[in-house]
Amino acid sequence: MAKELIRLQNVSMQFDGETVLDNISLTINDHEFLTLLGPSGCGKTTTLRIIGGFQTPTSGDVFFDGARINDVPPYRRKINTVFQKYALFPHLDVYDNIAFGLRVSKLPEPEVDRRVMEMLEIVSLRGFQNRKVTSLSGGQQQRVAIARALVNQPKVLLLDEPLGALDMRLRKDMQNELKRIQQALEITFIYVTHDQEEALAMSDTVVVMDKGCIQQIGSPVSIYNEPENAFVADFIGESNILDGIMRKDYEVEFFGHRYQCLDKGFAKNEPVDVVIRPEDIDIVPPGGGYLSATVTNVIFKGTFYDTFVDVGDFKWLIQTTDFHEIGDVIGISLDPDAIHVMKKSQYSEQFGDYSSYSAEYDEMEEDPEGEADEE
Amino acid sequence: MKRFTRIFTVVVFLFLYLPMIVLAVASFNKGSDIGAFTGFTFRQYGELFRDSTLLPLLGNSIIIAVVAALISTILGTMAAVGIHNMRRRPQAMAMALTNIPMTNPDIVTGVSLALLFAFAGVMLRRNSIMGFGTLLIAHITFDMPYVILSVMPKLTQMDPDLEEAALDLGCTPVKAFFRVVIHEIMPGIISGALMAFTMSLDDFVISYFVYGPNFVTLPVEIYNYTKKPLQPKIYALFTLLFLVILLLMVLMNLLQLRDARQRQIRKGGAS
Repeated sequence: MAKELIRLQNVSMQFDGETVLDNISLTINDHEFLTLLGPSGCGKTTTLRIIGGFQTPTSGDVFFDGARINDVPPYRRKINTVFQKYALFPHLDVYDNIAFGLRVSKLPEPEVDRRVMEMLEIVSLRGFQNRKVTSLSGGQQQRVAIARALVNQPKVLLLDEPLGALDMRLRKDMQNELKRIQQALEITFIYVTHDQEEALAMSDTVVVMDKGCIQQIGSPVSIYNEPENAFVADFIGESNILDGIMRKDYEVEFFGHRYQCLDKGFAKNEPVDVVIRPEDIDIVPPGGGYLSATVTNVIFKGTFYDTFVDVGDFKWLIQTTDFHEIGDVIGISLDPDAIHVMKKSQYSEQFGDYSSYSAEYDEMEEDPEGEADEE
Repeated sequence: MKRFTRIFTVVVFLFLYLPMIVLAVASFNKGSDIGAFTGFTFRQYGELFRDSTLLPLLGNSIIIAVVAALISTILGTMAAVGIHNMRRRPQAMAMALTNIPMTNPDIVTGVSLALLFAFAGVMLRRNSIMGFGTLLIAHITFDMPYVILSVMPKLTQMDPDLEEAALDLGCTPVKAFFRVVIHEIMPGIISGALMAFTMSLDDFVISYFVYGPNFVTLPVEIYNYTKKPLQPKIYALFTLLFLVILLLMVLMNLLQLRDARQRQIRKGGAS
């Protein structure tokens, strides 16, 4: 089933001497839903544009079905794109927008009609064919953009933050819709987003990118549970990331305590990063050999509390359904599978301490800045 | 204060349009003395349309204006697309270079074109190459910057994704231009063409230096007329010319207005 469709091999991209992509290698399988995930400027859109043929890599090769396609222009690739701001043709109505690609390839008009109508059905826009695209809502324009691309029966559909401009509820609906369409039509989707929830919910494979490099490739579950470095751990969900020392296989030490863990294969006494997810921490009564902590702040989040605690001079985030008063002293209990050990990387020490954390600040950072993305 | 601005506005418009009003009134005057209006008549217009020298000249002017506007619109649009696709620095330079001819005094442009054509004539071992061809080339030369200038903003306003979407859906770059881009920049092309047409129609200075005995445009010949006492039917001709240009300008403004309104709607729909 896992047949290779697209392969990027040692691809680098420079704009005016600035490196946007740094030696990326990536394989995309047929029928896969693959997401390129990362913050603004991480190179995800550039990667997508290289696959689409809108940019030629400075070095490295792109293969499609085994053939090198570096110099194949976009109009000769069996790939279609859903653009971030839809890019519907304003001088054409819904029908003509969707029919555009079929007419360019000179299909007979009855065939065009059959496929356009079928597509309108799939994206739930039947009856809209004669509407002007400028009179549609954002969500409807989005569907037209998807239909316009899919009607050409591409092998691969590229989607560049297609839900970025939609409001929260519509986004959720469209996520399900996209996943449904992808599975029904069995087309490879390559999806670009900076929204980690979206990436985890929809993808078969997630490629986490930062600073023009791939940080990790894996299934949503493995990316979340086994982050490879501090960047991935921090970008995907909330994480406490601490300094630790790997004493031996299956045993790691931090804050003067030794813990059982599930990781092995490190050198003896190797310094490592330790990731602990806020929801994996059990709060127990203080004492009894547990790490002890002081509650400094509590934020009610609906289904749980964000509880901030000081352990020494390190601030942790714990997500718990139990309320604790500010000033309470608690014990922290960690199961072996709550502890994830990672090799030190360029990202060590940059993330994971919640001393500067504020919910507002976090939201600001996650705001879509897609428009200014790269270039 | 409000009254003052109103009066001021009226004065400014009077100042601007008084000469045209005098001319128009004179064209309907029965007598030939500009100082005394002796009665209303269409006689001058009648004479104008019976005139066997003036009308062909007007025809010449229109032919030159239409052909020059057509060619400069095509070339100018192509140039604008090329400049638009340049990188930033060369683009700024190209725009500066296209703007200079517009600010250059007409007389300088006229004399330098005349010199160029004289030089070319010598090269071709011909006595004089002045005529329809040289006039046309000269008009295209000064029309083109106006076309570029009115197409350029449309290209920059256009969502660059539109062209890429066309490529993505199978269009070659040329097809993408004709199927998508041209629709987006059409208002600019039309207003550029209209501007070029009016520029050509009323050009005198540059034409004066490059016309030949076989092909003269109206403004040039009228200048030759003014050496003798001016015939009143010329007033009628000018009044008509003024109306035509006025009409074109109104049309251009209407087009721009419609374009702006559509853009507004589009913005509203997308949000």
